[in-house]
Amino acid sequence: MSRRFLCFSVVLLLLMAAWPALADAPGVYAITGGTVHPVSGPEIANGVVIIRDGLIESVGANTAIPADATVIDVKGSHVYPGLIDAQTSLGFPSATAPRRRGPAAAGARNAPEALPETGPSFLAFREAKLSDDDIDAKRATGVTTIVTAPSFGIFNGQSVAVNLRDGTMESRVIRNPVSQQISFNPRPAWTYPDSLMGVISYIRQTLMDAQQYSAARTIYDKNPAGYKRPDESPSLEALGGVLRRDVPVVFVADSELMIRRAEAIAKEFNVRMIVGGARQGYKMGDELKSLGAPVLVSTKWATAPAAKEDREEQPLRVIRDRQLQPTTPAVLAKSGVLFALVSGAGKTSDFFPGIRKAIENGLSADDALRATTINPAKIIGIDRQLGSLDRGKIANIVITDKPIFDKESKIKRIFVDGREAKVPTEDEKKKSASTSTGTGVDGTWSFVVKATSGDVNITATLHVENGQIGGTYSGDRGAGEIGNGTFDGTTLQFSIAGRGQEEAGDWVFHGTLHGANMDGTVSTTLGTFPFTGSRK
Amino acid sequence: MKTRIVITAVAGLAVAASAFAQDIVIRDATILTVSHGKIEHGSILVHAGKIAAVGTNAQVTAPANATVIDAAGKFVMPGIIDTHSHTAVEGSVNEISLPNTGMVRIRDVLTNEDIDVYRQLAGGTTTALVLHGSANPIGGQSQIVKWKWGHPVSEWPISDAPRTIKFALGENPKSSNFRPPPGTPAQYPQTRMGVEEVIRQSFIDAKDYIARWDDYDAKKKRGETAIPPRHDILMETMVDILKGKIDVHSHCYRADEIMMLLNVADEEGFKIRELQHVLEGYKVAKEIAAHGVGGGTFIDWWGFKAEAYDAIPYNVALMNNAGVLTSVNSDSAELARHLNQDAAKAMKYGGLSEEDALKLCTLNGAKQLRLDHRIGSIDVGKDADIVIWTAHPFSTYARVETTLVDGEILFDRSKDLAMRKQLAQEKKDRLKKEADDEAKNKKSKPGPKDDDKAEATNE
Repeated sequence: MSRRFLCFSVVLLLLMAAWPALADAPGVYAITGGTVHPVSGPEIANGVVIIRDGLIESVGANTAIPADATVIDVKGSHVYPGLIDAQTSLGFPSATAPRRRGPAAAGARNAPEALPETGPSFLAFREAKLSDDDIDAKRATGVTTIVTAPSFGIFNGQSVAVNLRDGTMESRVIRNPVSQQISFNPRPAWTYPDSLMGVISYIRQTLMDAQQYSAARTIYDKNPAGYKRPDESPSLEALGGVLRRDVPVVFVADSELMIRRAEAIAKEFNVRMIVGGARQGYKMGDELKSLGAPVLVSTKWATAPAAKEDREEQPLRVIRDRQLQPTTPAVLAKSGVLFALVSGAGKTSDFFPGIRKAIENGLSADDALRATTINPAKIIGIDRQLGSLDRGKIANIVITDKPIFDKESKIKRIFVDGREAKVPTEDEKKKSASTSTGTGVDGTWSFVVKATSGDVNITATLHVENGQIGGTYSGDRGAGEIGNGTFDGTTLQFSIAGRGQEEAGDWVFHGTLHGANMDGTVSTTLGTFPFTGSRK
Repeated sequence: MKTRIVITAVAGLAVAASAFAQDIVIRDATILTVSHGKIEHGSILVHAGKIAAVGTNAQVTAPANATVIDAAGKFVMPGIIDTHSHTAVEGSVNEISLPNTGMVRIRDVLTNEDIDVYRQLAGGTTTALVLHGSANPIGGQSQIVKWKWGHPVSEWPISDAPRTIKFALGENPKSSNFRPPPGTPAQYPQTRMGVEEVIRQSFIDAKDYIARWDDYDAKKKRGETAIPPRHDILMETMVDILKGKIDVHSHCYRADEIMMLLNVADEEGFKIRELQHVLEGYKVAKEIAAHGVGGGTFIDWWGFKAEAYDAIPYNVALMNNAGVLTSVNSDSAELARHLNQDAAKAMKYGGLSEEDALKLCTLNGAKQLRLDHRIGSIDVGKDADIVIWTAHPFSTYARVETTLVDGEILFDRSKDLAMRKQLAQEKKDRLKKEADDEAKNKKSKPGPKDDDKAEATNE
């Protein structure tokens, strides 16, 4: 009895402390005075949105305000449905290629369940580690619903759509699973598949195995007498939904060629395809339209190298491509393709600049809004719950001082599931930006390699983007750029060029990160040596 | 460097024109037909992508609306065929992870963005066998393509070409010259014995696989319900080799391992179509010829690794004279641009006739690829893959003026030269616009102070 009372008191105190700054209980609210953009219909000047118990009760111009509603006057502001980012890897380390070899991976073909990282039965719902900082940072961009799945592995597993509310993972889920996600990521050398062509064969064989698994199970389950019992396989079982077209497949494919390769697989196995990435979609608007697959366009546009000389070294084809990529959304809109804008491989902070770049390149602001609200909702099958301001839908609402994609626009208030979420101040945003970019590897490191000839000292400045390590080094083996670097959150690999007198060939570092320290081995043509590293 | 960039740019602009729009007649050239000698003051009529007529100027009549290429003083030969290419592959050409990776296919990863394709057209090469690498005894399935630059890559594979696969013997598949990272066990096989075992065992496995499916099919035939066996892409590849549906092209150097492979093939019941590199082929040329196996080799590359120490430039002529169907091929995006010169060297080293030497980079390759009904010579009914040279292609001064693939001009030197300026300008303009936009954005970006102020007022 007393504990219950205590709980109640704590809740009450919390409520009192927050009130009236935040409407953080799912009560009854009337948002008045703003320009309402329902997306499903024309904008409403001086509109009213009534929220009750986490859902939208009504949207209109002359809506009567219920007596029990708390009025939130947002005069002069703009009211939108919360944005949906339908492809992220929030809550997962941002590695493109895990470094570990699976226990059964060496020599074993087509054993997805043996892969330690991901696989068709991998559930993002269970494995995502969404930190409060991740959620705050994402919400601060007006995004209230995300789809997440890891970006590493080939079968990335089953993605999940969640509302970015405080609370348990279970309470956040809008749809689970959303899709199976497949990425064309080769595995490390000497682990099948370590080439792009191997990845394609691996995907095809796995889907064939799933077909066989389903056929074998059907026969066996009907009458097991007289048959050898088929082995249980959670991975192949998980692909059953894909083959039955219950669960769509997001193929992560950026280039025209990769999209065509994905298309060939989707056709061969008659699976429901969603294209994810599609930054070269500008080359194939009509083709994507006739393909009929929805597209999640990643707004992480290719960037130019910093140095002028490096730009001039590039072929025109590459320059042209990076300048035309941001026209993809406009091209798809013109062709009538159902598409959404997503952050994909990009960082949370790149999402809005990426959308604005698409608008500068011909996408209308209205289309951009649809591509971040109702379109993603349709593509992932949650448009009855989200994506517009309509009666009965979930009360995810974003209020901005200017039209949402204006460069100077600021987010004033955010509601998720009818509760108000805190909007970080600019100071907090900057602070979180400075901490969230750190991956644990970024920075300057001193390395000591214990070679047979004695200690070799190397200083390196490393930075990580999307699981790739770049940077420079200098010291006992001269100076140069870091090559072939990858990082999966714990283990890393990179190489420095061979410059020794008695040997040629790269030195390849294989290390494990322990906070401000690192250790591991360096393989060279002279042999393998241990190394240690410490952050400067 | 400058040239490279310009040529890359040209590549981007090459547009797939409707292929058969126009008949083309090449007039007054010296035609090296390869199959039936040389025609002075000859003409070729190209219609619907094929060679419609070939003969002296007087013998060939062309429709009035045909595009006329005046080739007076020029030399014309069939498009060069490179039976050993790794050009236009996206990602690694080796799936290195397993001793047998016959499940992977080069055709899945062809790319039409590899500038080397355009450069090879500029060297007269029009057809290539794009092979998997040689890192394992049985590599991936290879692909015969035409260099149809400017066309979608789906149009590159020759539709009626046989399927092919890469085998490899010797140092590469036994990992002599590279090793996996620390902590990774050494890749099997590590010896030539192991290479043999992998190949032999793969076919034994394939026969088991056939038996499993035969058993299933028999049960179905009897009306019994049966659980279908697993479809295994790798095993199905091996089965198709046994059934003669996939041609084997095997990388090899030494005479002993060449004999090993021929023996294993005899014992397991499959055929080798072509020995690739085959640097010691001259030592066992009679045996190779007796097996009806072709040999594609380098003319004068040797000593680049231990197993290449016994290579000699006379290999081509010696194999050819022993009755081996012999070709010169590139294994290099660079060499693939002047295979005519390698063919010419066979006249010096071993004294091949001009026509036999020409066959080394044309008709013999076509036969090795089992495509001589379509390509490899200037004959009526064959594909119009035609190269026009400024001089005899065996002259070091010869330069390609025009290359046609399936009757379409895909390289034209005068057009290339004309386009360079325009493309350089486009590049300049694009880079300038990019720099200007960046400068503008930097200027208009509100400083942190302004930000804070805005926030404060709004609160």
